[in-house]
Amino acid sequence: MDNSLLVSLSHQLAAYRAIDVIANNIANASTPGFKREASAFEEYVSRMRPAEGEMGTQMLSFVKDAGTLRDTAQGQMNQTGAPFDLAINGKGYFAVQTPQGLRYTRDGHFSLDAAGQIVNSSGYVLQGDGGAITITPDDGDIRIAPDGTVSGRTGQLAKVRVVDFADEYAMVKQGANLYSTTQAAQTPAVIDIRQGTLESSNVQPVLEISHMIEVMRAYEATATLSKSEQDMKRQAVEKLGAMPS
Amino acid sequence: MRALSIASTGMLAQQTNVEVIANNLANMNTTAFKQQRAEFQDLLYQNIQTPGSQTSDQGTYAPNGIQLGAGVRTAAVYRITTQGDLKSTGNPYDVAIQGPGFFRVQQADGTDAYTRSGNFSLSPQGQLVTQDGLIIQPGIAIPQNTLSVSINAQGQVNCTIAGNSTPQTVGQLELTRFPNEAGLQALGSNLYLETPGSGSPQAGVPGSTGYGTIQQGFLETSNVNSVDEITALITAQRAYEMNSKVISAADQMLQDASRLGS
Repeated sequence: MDNSLLVSLSHQLAAYRAIDVIANNIANASTPGFKREASAFEEYVSRMRPAEGEMGTQMLSFVKDAGTLRDTAQGQMNQTGAPFDLAINGKGYFAVQTPQGLRYTRDGHFSLDAAGQIVNSSGYVLQGDGGAITITPDDGDIRIAPDGTVSGRTGQLAKVRVVDFADEYAMVKQGANLYSTTQAAQTPAVIDIRQGTLESSNVQPVLEISHMIEVMRAYEATATLSKSEQDMKRQAVEKLGAMPS
Repeated sequence: MRALSIASTGMLAQQTNVEVIANNLANMNTTAFKQQRAEFQDLLYQNIQTPGSQTSDQGTYAPNGIQLGAGVRTAAVYRITTQGDLKSTGNPYDVAIQGPGFFRVQQADGTDAYTRSGNFSLSPQGQLVTQDGLIIQPGIAIPQNTLSVSINAQGQVNCTIAGNSTPQTVGQLELTRFPNEAGLQALGSNLYLETPGSGSPQAGVPGSTGYGTIQQGFLETSNVNSVDEITALITAQRAYEMNSKVISAADQMLQDASRLGS
């Protein structure tokens, strides 16, 4: 294949990946605590031998996806009124115990399980300062203070643990709104938990749709380029191959 | 091209969302109905390049990985069990629970079900029953010739019978509570069933610690907030629309790809 076709192929593959990332953002526009991703591309330069009749080496640059960047901006705060819907205003993550170990999340939708422990929608136990937080029906209405203190009728019961990490971007998304990391957990300087509130996803529909159109048009342009390249080749073959009369 | 399937998971999720909202709005005037919310989770990620992977033997690391998501799924449709407003009806057999707790009723097959809907009536035998004729447990029979019935905050049922000026206690309403109310299984007809998620029922007298009190002549309205529901409906509809836009964009790209060879 010709180099120009390979260059446009590299862009088309990148565009496929970009549209996949945008599709995932839009699909998760209603997922609480979801952080949008953006794809980043980089130039991959390769040197090629000079073609016949040309001087010096030529540079050829391909496009290659370098990574997906997570936008960790805070989502909008939505009032739900449910007593165990918690949102972290500012930095930090909730810790939940899963069979694979501790996982972290900003999705603050919790409820009680049959044993009265606070769990997330997968049934993983929310971690307080002393492990699981257990609520009994005798505790009456539960209040969760901005610093995470859980109190009922009889006073303080536990404290919700909020953790932070040195490099948020190095945390790996696990699906089910969970993140995993090998970094050591730190305690953020300021903890601000809002009870009865959920952090919605930080996907901005206008942004995503305009990105999508951009990617689509760029893809279209590259496709047209490949097409005209092919036409040129066909014409060359036709003209050069024509027998001189 | 994953975009097609990712966007279809998004459309499915928003469809569930609209269905939940529709059910909430349809039950706005259902006694003691508790609003529901759909909760979503992102699906598994494909790690093409893990964040923090080494990029050279000099100890340089990629600050960002390449993680491609696969869409969204409905994680749960949970019930928000906040108290609904109390509405005065004046009917002596309408009782509302102010605070936590459920009335226990016996179903036709002999098993127990639980309800907060207190719009009771009398059966032909004079027993206190729900609108579907299920007997309230423990059974309370109102004697004939009863002139008036009063139910106090602690659930004691007193009747004034013709020819006797002193009211007689004929029964005691009981409340049942669960470690996790939101884990009950909704059965329809305002009934709930115990599940492994709800924990085992604990019966008690109204007004004691951790149980609600009884209000005679009142009904608990649904806790659906129409303004919230309508805004949620608009958001869900727009999100659905955007997912369908992604599908047409992906379709357009595939079309361009197939034109290349022509």
